[in-house]
Amino acid sequence: MFKFTLGNESQRQCDGLTRRHVLRLGTCGLIGGLTLPRLLELQAQAATPSSAKAKSCIFLFLEGGPPHQDMWDPKPEAPPEIRGPFHSISTNVSGTFVTDQLPLCAKIADKYTILRSHSHADNGHSTGYHYVMTGRRANFADGDNPIPNNNVFPSIGSVVAREIGPRSELPPYINLPHPMQAGGPGFYGAEFAPFVIEADPTQPDFEVKDLQPPGRLSEQRLSLRRKLLAGIDQMERERNRGPAKVMSTYYEKAYKLITSTEAKKAFDIHAEPDSVRDAYGRTQVGQCALLARRLVEGGCRFVGVDAPGWDVHFNCFPSLRTDLIPYADRAFSALITDLEQRGLLDETLVVMMGEMGRTPRINAQAGRDHWSMAQTVIFAGGGIKPGQVIGATDKQAASPTSDPVSVNDLLRTISILMGINPDKQYLDPLGRPVPIVDGGKFIRDLV
Amino acid sequence: MSLQVFFINWPYHISNSGRLLVNQHTHFSKHIIYFTLVVMACCTSPAVAEIRVSPFNLLLDSPESSQQVLVHKSEPNGITQDISRAVRYEVEPPEIAFVNDRGLVRPKTAGKGTLIVHIEDQRLTVPLEVRGLEHPQPVSFRNEIIPILTKARCNAGGCHGKAEGQNGFKLSIFGFDVQSDFQALVMESRGRRVTPAIPAHSLLYLKGSARLPHGGGQRIEPGSYRDQRLLRWISEGAILDSESDLNGQIVGIEIEPAEQVLLAGQTQQLRVSAVDAAGRRHCVTTEAEYESNAESIAKVDPLGLIQASQIPGEAAILVRYLGHVGVCRITLPRPAVQFARPPENNFIDRLVWDKLQRLGIEPSGLADDAEFLRRVSLDTIGTLPTPEEARAFLTDVAPDKRAKLIDRLLERDEYADFWTMQWLDILRADQLKITPQGTVAMQRWLRRHFAENRPFDQLARELLTVQGNTSQEGPASFYKVLDKPEEAARSISQLLLGVRIECAQCHHHPSERLSQTDYVGLAGFFTGLSLKKLPNGEQAVISRGGKDLPHPRTKEPITARALGAPPADFSQVADRRHILADWMTATDNPFFAKAIANRIWAHYFGHGLITPLDDIRDTNPATNEPLMTALANHMREKQFDLKAYTRTLLNSRAYQLSSATTVANESDEQNFSHAAFKPMPAEVLLDAICQSTNVVENFNGWPTGYRAIQVWDNHMPSYFFRIFGRPVRATVCECERSNHPSIVQALHLLNAPEIAEKISDRQGRARQLASSKLTPPEIIDELYLSTFSRFPTAPERRLMLEAFAPEGTDRRAAVEDVLWAILNSKEFIFNH
Repeated sequence: MFKFTLGNESQRQCDGLTRRHVLRLGTCGLIGGLTLPRLLELQAQAATPSSAKAKSCIFLFLEGGPPHQDMWDPKPEAPPEIRGPFHSISTNVSGTFVTDQLPLCAKIADKYTILRSHSHADNGHSTGYHYVMTGRRANFADGDNPIPNNNVFPSIGSVVAREIGPRSELPPYINLPHPMQAGGPGFYGAEFAPFVIEADPTQPDFEVKDLQPPGRLSEQRLSLRRKLLAGIDQMERERNRGPAKVMSTYYEKAYKLITSTEAKKAFDIHAEPDSVRDAYGRTQVGQCALLARRLVEGGCRFVGVDAPGWDVHFNCFPSLRTDLIPYADRAFSALITDLEQRGLLDETLVVMMGEMGRTPRINAQAGRDHWSMAQTVIFAGGGIKPGQVIGATDKQAASPTSDPVSVNDLLRTISILMGINPDKQYLDPLGRPVPIVDGGKFIRDLV
Repeated sequence: MSLQVFFINWPYHISNSGRLLVNQHTHFSKHIIYFTLVVMACCTSPAVAEIRVSPFNLLLDSPESSQQVLVHKSEPNGITQDISRAVRYEVEPPEIAFVNDRGLVRPKTAGKGTLIVHIEDQRLTVPLEVRGLEHPQPVSFRNEIIPILTKARCNAGGCHGKAEGQNGFKLSIFGFDVQSDFQALVMESRGRRVTPAIPAHSLLYLKGSARLPHGGGQRIEPGSYRDQRLLRWISEGAILDSESDLNGQIVGIEIEPAEQVLLAGQTQQLRVSAVDAAGRRHCVTTEAEYESNAESIAKVDPLGLIQASQIPGEAAILVRYLGHVGVCRITLPRPAVQFARPPENNFIDRLVWDKLQRLGIEPSGLADDAEFLRRVSLDTIGTLPTPEEARAFLTDVAPDKRAKLIDRLLERDEYADFWTMQWLDILRADQLKITPQGTVAMQRWLRRHFAENRPFDQLARELLTVQGNTSQEGPASFYKVLDKPEEAARSISQLLLGVRIECAQCHHHPSERLSQTDYVGLAGFFTGLSLKKLPNGEQAVISRGGKDLPHPRTKEPITARALGAPPADFSQVADRRHILADWMTATDNPFFAKAIANRIWAHYFGHGLITPLDDIRDTNPATNEPLMTALANHMREKQFDLKAYTRTLLNSRAYQLSSATTVANESDEQNFSHAAFKPMPAEVLLDAICQSTNVVENFNGWPTGYRAIQVWDNHMPSYFFRIFGRPVRATVCECERSNHPSIVQALHLLNAPEIAEKISDRQGRARQLASSKLTPPEIIDELYLSTFSRFPTAPERRLMLEAFAPEGTDRRAAVEDVLWAILNSKEFIFNH
């Protein structure tokens, strides 16, 4: 057997490998079937939260199911009832094409990777959302609204909050602009629930709910109030046990958040120059992406952005053309460019997807229906290898022609990229051991 | 001090040298050596310490067998201590066996001899025989290989035991299905997993030990006894049923000791014997699985060594072997405590004090009147006392004023509102699922039950046997969510019996006797149910006939049966569920009374005697079994009259203890030595804020004046309810109501404009007090009475007066500031 030491030796090349590793690798490649991607995968899997490249993750969720063939997986050769009205354009990576609805993203295709072979078997919205965020098939019927708060299984955001935790006074897991339906903590409990902004960052009076004292309380009254409260709790200290003690720690965290300049700065989207706000687009998804960048800069670990409206069953092309795709195109391209310019892209994993793709054939109402058999997922930053296209679908964009990438493959990959051991187990309320990710394979081609 | 061994127990003889010999010709029913050591202390009367060695006879009959020896010392004061690791062991002759310093004996070569136990300067001997090394009995797949796969966690839920297996290799979870595991190992994968021709090439042998790369890592140490046993099984031809299996079926396990008192930091070794059909005992201590239900009190290692922590309390050590389960109960008393028994109001106090006395934990003092008033009101009616009620109760001098208050509260309308709300949660009254009409139908039915205090067994019977329109007052819409027999079986079992059987849907319950047969047997009661559409578009539950369901694995039909009951006879009934209702509400039902008694207890005392309250099983014992039994009996005696039962709980001194802890009991969380700090349910907290500020909440679409605990619509949009954990009513589990504190809750109470508006409302309490003629100290008194149900202490009053102090202070602002501070205090947010 060969022995590999990963990431511990001093004479490294810029990609983290020593020359010796590479030489050894050559030999192993011949004998042991070890390839460069395999080694990179091993290296990624050996990472811990502190050594992993991805310190944070921005998860852009296009809720409703974005049409992959109208965006990232064009089929110009297919008949019109399949290919739709959009044309295919070349990106700045030769040989990679997207539709003409993504002109901005097409210019920076070297900065992200297009995974076209994602596929799963849950064709419902709430159940699919639950599946994508938790890796567990829903045990409730589709259409349940709200999702029963994933009262069993934690979402990937809660996993990140639990496994990595905060790196500043900002909460480690935040949802924008409202709670992600399936973004709950499951049996991990409220401690790992997302902090939710509950406000629309496009509004001129945007501010985070409950973060500032209401009304026009003078500083003098605020400090008096705090003094009185501290006094009561002080006298009650003898009894402050159990859950009350836990509540006290949350009060402390809340105070820290309220008084934190870091947090104030992160949430203050108004501090962005108009040019930047315009670059992201003055849309909800655009401003949420911008806020996500600010939060990641401020130390948040996992920002989940819920961007609804993609369930386009009826007369879909006008809205795809005028709102949905251009908004996403602008938001995503601005986010990637901005992160890169600030030197944050390497340590920020960005994932954009929905709960499903959409049907190959345009339906009688000129829309497309649910199609979980194929979806395109976009990855950027966080140590992935950009500029690639991974996987492909058949000529109707109906199902992957290469190895399909499952939900758990995605979750396993996100975990590993962030230095989380996906096989770590916690006991659920029934006492059953529940691994962080239920199976799945690391997507080797991504690194 | 010297020890001397005296002969005491026939049929042991003791030689002149003080050596103990066992009369080989006598047949023993016991498996323990008893003899006594007399401790000769100079010039004092002798104190007698008894030493027990177990087992009395050591047989090692296969190359991988082992025997765990236990040595216990019992002091005359009744304290027994495990000294197995404090003595020295020696094998005579030494070439026949090994023994380690934990007392684990392993074979070397065949022969007869003795194990010598050196205790200080004394020697005790136990006969030891080693045989069957050259020509051992073939390894039993079912009795010896399955436990290896379990112990190494090959068949655990995270690995090959999960439904789809792992990398193409699937085992049954915890090895409950011997046939299919055998199939998977021997037949599948083109026979590569076991290769009897070249045993050491078997994947089973190579991968489990990580001799070949294994995704699950090294589960079995190369060269270990387990490793050797696997190899031997393969070498012997990897057979499923060996001859020795035919009468060697393991029928149970014995755990020694079954209970033990430990002092902080002490250790205790377990010895586990598997008993086969022929009555033979096999030491499986190294092969059994161990788990503690309270790691903070006692931990257990994979070889069955228990380590007590520093925290007094009780732990149950669960032992599992081949689907058989048992427990060893560990008690950790506080050392050297003079326990002063408080007075007893009723049987509850006697049993709680008994337990606390045994543990050496002194209970807190009695709660003062204010603490009691606030707690009993929030617990019973989900409602804060008004300042008038508080003032009246605090100034009442009647000696029985607490009992009278309890009687009054139980008759309040809010009692029915509050309990209806809680039962709507666990009866899964989700209005999107069962329609608003169905929810109202269920709400009215529940409210009538609680208002009229109809017996609980009647509620259960109605719930179990309801038929008809789901929009009519009644629980029929419950069956709209329990739309499959299995769903109905597991929900009703958890709800009314406190037994969680869903594990048994897919596999033998890992820590319970329940099997898949029990699961489908129970589901068989609900197979006659269907929903019928009525002409007016509504739905009706009808129940006709029914059929037995097939066993999920064997596909054999299983006759419907209740848990642990014989197959049911449906010849006399049209609706199968009536048989189940009869069984459930019969006075000798082992689950029903216990489940509801524990559920109500958990509500008032903050946690159940059994926790989680709906997970009752032998392996999850009550923290106070005599009390649990007494409460279940009391429930039956009161004929399931919930108010009468509640009255008994509330009148106990145990309920009325202060939540302020003492050094002695601050870490006690399971013996009720002090009252619990309980988070308020979202609805109760919102009502409390409304009442304290004297400003009602307007619920979207509801007429003004409804209180949160009256709102049946679980989807009514409310940020407050969401962040304070209103349940979604998706399961019958009490655990669904998340009472976990969070940072968002803190931010909301501190800063939310909704709360600020209540504090500063024109008609609100703060404004009324500010514009009244009351002096600042009187205002503070009023605020304290309306929120904490008490008067402020002198230091508190002084502190709060600071809000009024600066010259020219706006009185209104001062009152608002005080009220704000109170509403954010832990004393307000919690029920204690």
